[in-house]
Amino acid sequence: MNEDKVRNGNKRSLLSGPYALWIAGFTILPLIVIMKYALTDKTGAFTTANLTAIFTDPINRKALWLSLKIAVGTTLICILLSYPMVLAMKHLGLGKKGFSLFIIILPMWMNFILRVLAWQMILSNNGLLNLLLTTLGFEPVRIANTETAIMIGSVYDYLPYMMLPIFTAIMEINEDLIEAAKDLGAGGFTVFRKVIFPLSIPGLLSGFVMVFVPSMTSFVIADILGGGKLQLIGNIIEQEFTTANNWPAGSGLSVMLMLLVLISTAFTMRRKTEGRESALW
Amino acid sequence: MFDPILQLEHITKSFDGKKILNDFDLEIGRNEFVTLLGPSGCGKSTILRIIGGFVRPDSGRVFFDAQDITMLPPEKRNVNTVFQKYSLFPHMNVEENIAFGLKLKKKSSDYIRDKVKYALKLVNLDGFEKRDTLSLSGGQQQRVAIARAIVNEPEVLLLDEPLGALDLKLRHEMQRELIKIKKEVGITFLYVTHDQEEALMMSDRIIVMNKGIIQQAGDSKSIYDEPQNAFVADFIGESNIIDGIMVKDLLVNIQGVDFPCVDTGFGENNPVDVVIRPEDLEIVKAGEGYLTGQVISIIFKGAYYEIKVKVNDYEWMIQSVDPAPIGELVGLTIDPDNIQIMHKPLRDDEEVVRDE
Repeated sequence: MNEDKVRNGNKRSLLSGPYALWIAGFTILPLIVIMKYALTDKTGAFTTANLTAIFTDPINRKALWLSLKIAVGTTLICILLSYPMVLAMKHLGLGKKGFSLFIIILPMWMNFILRVLAWQMILSNNGLLNLLLTTLGFEPVRIANTETAIMIGSVYDYLPYMMLPIFTAIMEINEDLIEAAKDLGAGGFTVFRKVIFPLSIPGLLSGFVMVFVPSMTSFVIADILGGGKLQLIGNIIEQEFTTANNWPAGSGLSVMLMLLVLISTAFTMRRKTEGRESALW
Repeated sequence: MFDPILQLEHITKSFDGKKILNDFDLEIGRNEFVTLLGPSGCGKSTILRIIGGFVRPDSGRVFFDAQDITMLPPEKRNVNTVFQKYSLFPHMNVEENIAFGLKLKKKSSDYIRDKVKYALKLVNLDGFEKRDTLSLSGGQQQRVAIARAIVNEPEVLLLDEPLGALDLKLRHEMQRELIKIKKEVGITFLYVTHDQEEALMMSDRIIVMNKGIIQQAGDSKSIYDEPQNAFVADFIGESNIIDGIMVKDLLVNIQGVDFPCVDTGFGENNPVDVVIRPEDLEIVKAGEGYLTGQVISIIFKGAYYEIKVKVNDYEWMIQSVDPAPIGELVGLTIDPDNIQIMHKPLRDDEEVVRDE
């Protein structure tokens, strides 16, 4: 009978085969290939120059610095925007799930590139924003092709990924806890500071990972809203693979970027293993 | 002398168009242990939430120490609540939970430490300061919730079915402890429950409610011994409630037999409801009691037998320490003292609640 169980167990584990195959073919294999390229030069000889290039080459360094600035800025602004918006939705009773989730997700249904292009139209020097400003009698602003433009695009694109987990975490907070805090003498902001915010941290961490990582590695937004003049590390990697056709250099940068992202998100992973589940995974 | 600390005047509250409370009045005395008792949906929790400040009444006023607090938000009221579901902050340990209110009041850390220690001792949880709240049992969590409320030294402690989630044995233990805590801290307790035994055991005064209306208020003994209507009689303890006719003062006719009783003022030949507690009926030999009937069931309940005797169409419930064999003809007798006469219900809230 035990043998039967074992055999059944084996049968069951076969069901995970397609998934394992997928992971092997589309995650592990490419990683190995990238690693191989990263550790060889154009002639195929072993080298670590591709890895260190991210720090040694001034162009790479500048791009990395800009990427970090954009990623940190985007993440912070998304956090600062998400809380008031989520709390407002909660207080307006939109928390009855469906509708407010719909509002958050709606922009995600539009094509990513289209959304960025729309911002290009809005922010360009003769764009909608300046049209609005001049009609209202203000001086036009020149933010097209600047860091600000990239930041605005990033915030717009990644905001739902921050709002959603924070929304989920806050909606899961039992109303009784908020009443208990008020009962013990906590006013509105104290309730937020002492109860709502600490209990939303798992959601905040999920949001952090989901906003910080893509805004650190993206290149499309910088391409379109930076007017090709501002380069993020993602743009450089893209060019190494496409225009420069230097796969080892691109792979080296990719591997280093991956490491940096892993390190910067490591602490969120550690928190999660402490037992309190995060809201999204 | 009655010294009111809380007064509710003409409170009306509707939810979704359904009137929960209509022109409700209530006075709570200083240092009283008052219990609001009633079936779920009778409005008792709403009253507590109005006093706590979580629900604003549609009309009417709430006075605390003669001050109108109707519009005061919960955080500004000198009352604290023990919630049914404990509602401990999961991201804080026991000590941080209990210190929550004191920290907001900017008390010194020495004061807070002493207070927390004292409160934990009071609820029998010495040395639990650093425990994670999630690791505690339900009973322990509720003790922490009580400690968290009383460290703030509220003048009134509101308890919203605080023992509802505990098992029977633990509940009994906590009831005794609550009485002890009440004596020690000397503050007003306003307790909400649907458990009549709990209410009878703990309260100085019980307010029995149904459908948002006070059915009877009084101490445990008067509520139990002298229910004023069929609802109260039925809700508090077991009882036989049967139609009777008040022949004249001190004489009531039940099932065609005249019983001497001690009630007066019900007029002559008026239909009334008669309440007789099962433990007050005595089984005697057939023919020797007022009524004669046949034993149709007997259940052993530990301390007593629950016996049903059918007389005509009515099944009398009797609690007796002596068994009686099924099928036997027996007589039933009762002291005049133990017959409780009530007016027929005037409104539906005074009627016995029927489980459909």
